[in-house]
Amino acid sequence: MIAETDGAILTVDNISRSYPGAPVPILDGLTFRQKRGEFVAIVGPSGCGKTTLLRCCAALMQPDAGSVLHAGQILSDPPPWLSIVFQDYNRSLFPWLSVKQNVGFGLAHVGKHERDERVAAALRAVRLDHAAELYPWQLSGGMQQRCALARSIVVRPKLLLLDEPFASVDAQTRFDLQDLVMEICRDMSLSTLLVTHDMEEAVFMADKVVVLSTKPARVVDEVAINIPYPRDQLATKETPEFLRLRHQVYTLVRQQIRH
Amino acid sequence: MTNSVQRIRALSLQIMLIAGLLAIWQWAAVTFPGPTLPPLLAVWRSYWRLVQGDLLHTAVLPSLYRLLIGFLIAAVGGALIGLAIGCSRSLDAWSRPVLEYLRYIPAIAILPPALLILGPTDTMRIFVIAFGCIFPVLLAAIDGAKRVEPTFLDTARVNGLGAIARIRRVVLFAAMPSLFAGLRIALGLGLIMMVISELIAADNGIGFFILRSQRLFQSAGVYAGVLVIGTIGWLLTAGLLLVERRVLHWHRGWRGLPVD
Ligand SMILES: Nc1ncnc2c1ncn2[C@@H]1O[C@H](COP(=O)(O)OP(=O)(O)O)[C@@H](O)[C@H]1O
Ligand SMILES: [Mg+2]
Repeated sequence: MIAETDGAILTVDNISRSYPGAPVPILDGLTFRQKRGEFVAIVGPSGCGKTTLLRCCAALMQPDAGSVLHAGQILSDPPPWLSIVFQDYNRSLFPWLSVKQNVGFGLAHVGKHERDERVAAALRAVRLDHAAELYPWQLSGGMQQRCALARSIVVRPKLLLLDEPFASVDAQTRFDLQDLVMEICRDMSLSTLLVTHDMEEAVFMADKVVVLSTKPARVVDEVAINIPYPRDQLATKETPEFLRLRHQVYTLVRQQIRH
Repeated sequence: MTNSVQRIRALSLQIMLIAGLLAIWQWAAVTFPGPTLPPLLAVWRSYWRLVQGDLLHTAVLPSLYRLLIGFLIAAVGGALIGLAIGCSRSLDAWSRPVLEYLRYIPAIAILPPALLILGPTDTMRIFVIAFGCIFPVLLAAIDGAKRVEPTFLDTARVNGLGAIARIRRVVLFAAMPSLFAGLRIALGLGLIMMVISELIAADNGIGFFILRSQRLFQSAGVYAGVLVIGTIGWLLTAGLLLVERRVLHWHRGWRGLPVD
């Protein structure tokens, strides 16, 4: 049991979770901790339970055993200061709402004037202001994911959860989105929890990489990434430190897949 | 170019079919004069009286009024109840036996008990129409609500929406394509129930008009009445499709179909 947390925005304490009908648990005694302002990346192969873990971290789902603490509290619903970007933008952006309306979705309690201003600012931050009146299905994959990102930051969250947000876009768009997310998270001093199967992405973006085992998912190891921000797609990825850390994470993940 | 040629060809074939059918009718009416098959002109005169003249207010409008009220009650009620059931596992389990039983009662069979309880009133006829319309809407709403993308619901929850707001702002829209499919079926059933409800103890409405014309051997009136029902069904369906196109324009785009 982890004591009352000092400075941790998210504490995942020994959680297990299985789905009805499936005999083996998906998550089994998983523990990690995220400090305020920290960018944590969780890597694990596809199907190992990353989305399940993230839904537990969002309080959209409760673990069968163990606990998830949000700023020291056990919650039964997502708190207003938590936001999430899902993997599949086609299933998370509402197709009946325009880009602008999608972004303003979580601001129903805010007056119209302020809402319009905040939506416009969020769209500018993700450089999507020119597409405000379009519908999501009129946008490219990368633009849709920027729209989802705008929707998640417009509510001014403290904790941002990202579920493989760049998995279904092309490489160049992925790099642009990675840069954009790092910029926004630093500007807004967000605590960010990124779940990904892409080890290079994890090392490039995060302060700390948590490596998961597969079937069931447990924490194998945590790797601290002490590379200063801002990081650059070319320069940073050529430094010996980056290559060393990438090697370390690759090795850990590969051991898991062999087992 | 070929496209417009094809369209003109299709249109001329359609017109020829209609003209052919009318010609056969007219030929038969002239060759075998008698009450069974009146000449076209007589049918047309009667039709015109129904849609334009004195019979509009005693035959067509009362029917239309009851159909629209009954359909609207079924649409709103069916959608609300259905979405609530579709969103709540306990409500679903609880109401399932009743719904599974009621849906197999042919709506026509409800007529005698409705007459017994409500008498030969407008209320009875509206009730019968609503009863006939509600099941397709209800089942479509339940189905639509159950098949909402889970990620839509997660998004709603993360944005702090409670159960009611979730239905109003997410489930209602996501289930709209399914709902409209149900509404289209309901409209057809409503038309049937409209006519049938007027065949018993009625003193106005298009069904009553047809029945009375038949009893008075005014065959032109019988045929004209039937044609008017076809016209009403066609117009209402066209109107519903128009509304559907507007409300669901996003659905075509989402599925990658051309949007106008
Ligand atoms: N609702 C569910 N019911 C049953 N099994 C599920 C459900 N969701 C996911 N699973 C199973 O749990 C495992 C982990 O899924 P998921 O968390 O989506 O993994 P990841 O996001 O890492 O790809 C998979 O094997 C998947 O089949
Ligand atoms: Mg996943």
